Amino acid sequence: MPGAALLHRPGASELRWAAVVLAAFGSLALLPLVVRRDDVLNFGVVFFLSVTLAQSWNLMAGYAGQVNLGHAAFFGLGALVTRALWIQGAPILPAMGVGAVVATVFGWLVGLPAFRLRGAYFAIGTLALAEILRITVGNSLPEISTLPAATIAGYSLTRRFYLTLVLAALAVATVAGTAASRVGLGMRAIREDEAAAEASGVGALRHKLLALSLSTLLAGLAGGAFAYYHISYYPQHPFGPQWTFDALLITFIGGAGTLHGPVLGALFYVFLKEYLAIRWVDLHLLIFGVLFVAIVLLLPGGLVEVFGRVRGRPRLTNP
Amino acid sequence: MALLEVEGLSRSFGGVSAVCDVSFAVEEGAIVGVMGPNGSGKTTLFNLITGALAPDAGRVRIEREDVTGLPPHRICAKGIARTFQLVHPFPGLTALENVLVGQLYGRRRLPLGRAVAEAERLLETAGLGGKGHLPAARLTVVDRKRLELARALATAPRVLLMDEFMAGLTPAEVGEAIALIRRLHGQGVTLVIVEHIVWALLDLSHRIVVLSAGEKIAEGAPAAVARDPTVMDVYLGTAAGA
Ligand SMILES: Nc1ncnc2c1ncn2[C@@H]1O[C@H](COP(=O)(O)OP(=O)(O)O)[C@@H](O)[C@H]1O
Ligand SMILES: [Mg+2]
Repeated sequence: MPGAALLHRPGASELRWAAVVLAAFGSLALLPLVVRRDDVLNFGVVFFLSVTLAQSWNLMAGYAGQVNLGHAAFFGLGALVTRALWIQGAPILPAMGVGAVVATVFGWLVGLPAFRLRGAYFAIGTLALAEILRITVGNSLPEISTLPAATIAGYSLTRRFYLTLVLAALAVATVAGTAASRVGLGMRAIREDEAAAEASGVGALRHKLLALSLSTLLAGLAGGAFAYYHISYYPQHPFGPQWTFDALLITFIGGAGTLHGPVLGALFYVFLKEYLAIRWVDLHLLIFGVLFVAIVLLLPGGLVEVFGRVRGRPRLTNP
Repeated sequence: MALLEVEGLSRSFGGVSAVCDVSFAVEEGAIVGVMGPNGSGKTTLFNLITGALAPDAGRVRIEREDVTGLPPHRICAKGIARTFQLVHPFPGLTALENVLVGQLYGRRRLPLGRAVAEAERLLETAGLGGKGHLPAARLTVVDRKRLELARALATAPRVLLMDEFMAGLTPAEVGEAIALIRRLHGQGVTLVIVEHIVWALLDLSHRIVVLSAGEKIAEGAPAAVARDPTVMDVYLGTAAGA
C-alpha cells in the first residue's frame, strides 16, 4: 500500500503539525491589529522566544539525541553580539545574523572535540562554556545595558512581536524540514543507537555537527531578538542557567523529539510562569523543579503523550 | 577475484590478543563460515572489518580497495554491511524507518520516495510484511533479528557479515533462517556468517575459517574442516561443554 507508506514516511507527523502551528501563528499575526494591550503583546514575545529556544534545544536533544546543558551560552552570545552591533548603529537583522554565526562558531568549538569523544562530554562541555561565558561577561561588562534615549523614544513593541513571531515560525519550519528529510532520519538513528547508525552508513559526527549548527543558529537568533526586545538588562543575564533550564523544561513538558510538543510546552510553561511569578515570586523555581521531576517520572513523553493516550493511540516516547 | 580480503588482521585489548594475524579471502557469491569457541575473536574480527574497531595491524580490502581504518559509515558505503550478535535496532523508529536508514545512507543512497516503496519490499523479504508501521521496540525478538537483517540488506551490501543470526531462535525458526540465508545467496549476496549451530554452519558454508584464541587454526571446505583433528580437539572439545 503506497498510501500507507506515505503516511508513515519519516517526518509526516511533523509536517502535519507544522502546518497547524504555522496556521495558528499566522492568525496570531492579526493580534496587534485587534488588541492594543501591551501585556498581551509582551506575553506573545515571551511565548515566541520560548518556542524558538525550546525548538532549538529540541532539535539537538529530541532529534539528534545530544543533550546540551549550556544552551544559554548560545542564546547569550546572540544577545551580546547583536546588542553591541545594533547599539552602534547596525540594522537589527544583520546584527542578529552575525550574533547567530558567532554562537554557532562557539558551538563548533565545543562540539568538534566533544563529539569525537562521545559520552557525556558534550553535556559537560556546553555547561562549562555557558558558565565560563556568564562569569567572564559578568566581570568584563558589569554595567547594566540600556538602550539610548532616542531608541527608547521610537520603541515599537509591535515590531518585537512580529520579529519573534517570524523567528518562532522559522524554528518550527526548521525542525519540520529537518525531520522530514534524510538527515533528520539520520539524526534520529544516531539518537537511538549510534553504533548501529554508523554501521548503516550514517556519519555520526557530520550529523551531530549539522544539528548543532542549526540549533545554535536558532538560539543565537533568539538571543538577538532578546537584545532587541529588552530596554535594559545586565549583559550577563542571557547567559544564566535559567535559559537552558527553560528550553529543557519546555521541551520535556511538551514532548521531546516531536514538533508540536515544545509549542504546547511553551504555551503551558509561559502561562504558568507568568501566573506563578506574580503570586509566588520566591517559590516559582521550586515549583518548576517539582514539575520537572514529576513530568520525567510520570509522563516521559510530555503533554503530547497525554493527547496520544486520549486519542487511544499509545505512542512510543523518545528518550 | 576475491571480493573481500582480510590480511594479517590483529587486535589486542590490554595485552590480551583478541584477533591475531588473521588472513582470509571471500570470493564473490560465496558463503564463508567463521567458527570458533566463545571468546575466540569472531565478533572482534567483524568489528575490525567493519571499522567499529581499529586494527593494531593488518589490512581490509574490498574489490582491491583498501578500507582499513575508515569509520564504519564509510565502510558501509563501500559495501560491507553487518548484523550485530546482540541486535541493535533503532527502538524508537518504526520498522520501516529502520530499513529506510539503510537505504538512504548505504551504498546505493536511494531518493526518499523510491526508498519507501523498496523498504516495504525488503520488509516483506525478511518476513516483516505489514509490520512497517510498528516501532522496533514493539517487535518480538525474532522480528527484531529479521529487522536487523532487513536494515543491513537495505544498505545494498556487496558482502554481508552475519554474527550469530540464529542464536536464540527455536528449531523451526532456525530452519526458516537457513532458508532465508539460502534465498539471499540466491539473490547474489556474498555472505560471511558466524554461527554456534555447527551443523547449520557446515551445511550453509562453501568454506570455513576456524578461529581459536584469536588465531586462524584451520580453513577449508566444510567436510575437510569437520574432519580436521586440530579443529576437533580445540573447537569441539569446548563446544561439547557449551
Ligand atoms: N571491546 C573490548 N574490550 C576488551 N576486550 C574485548 C573487547 N571485545 C572483545 N574483547 C575480548 O576479546 C576476546 C574475543 O571476543 P569476541 O570477539 O567477542 O569473541 P567471540 O565473538 O568469538 O565470542 C574475548 O576475550 C573478549 O573478552
Ligand atoms: Mg561473538
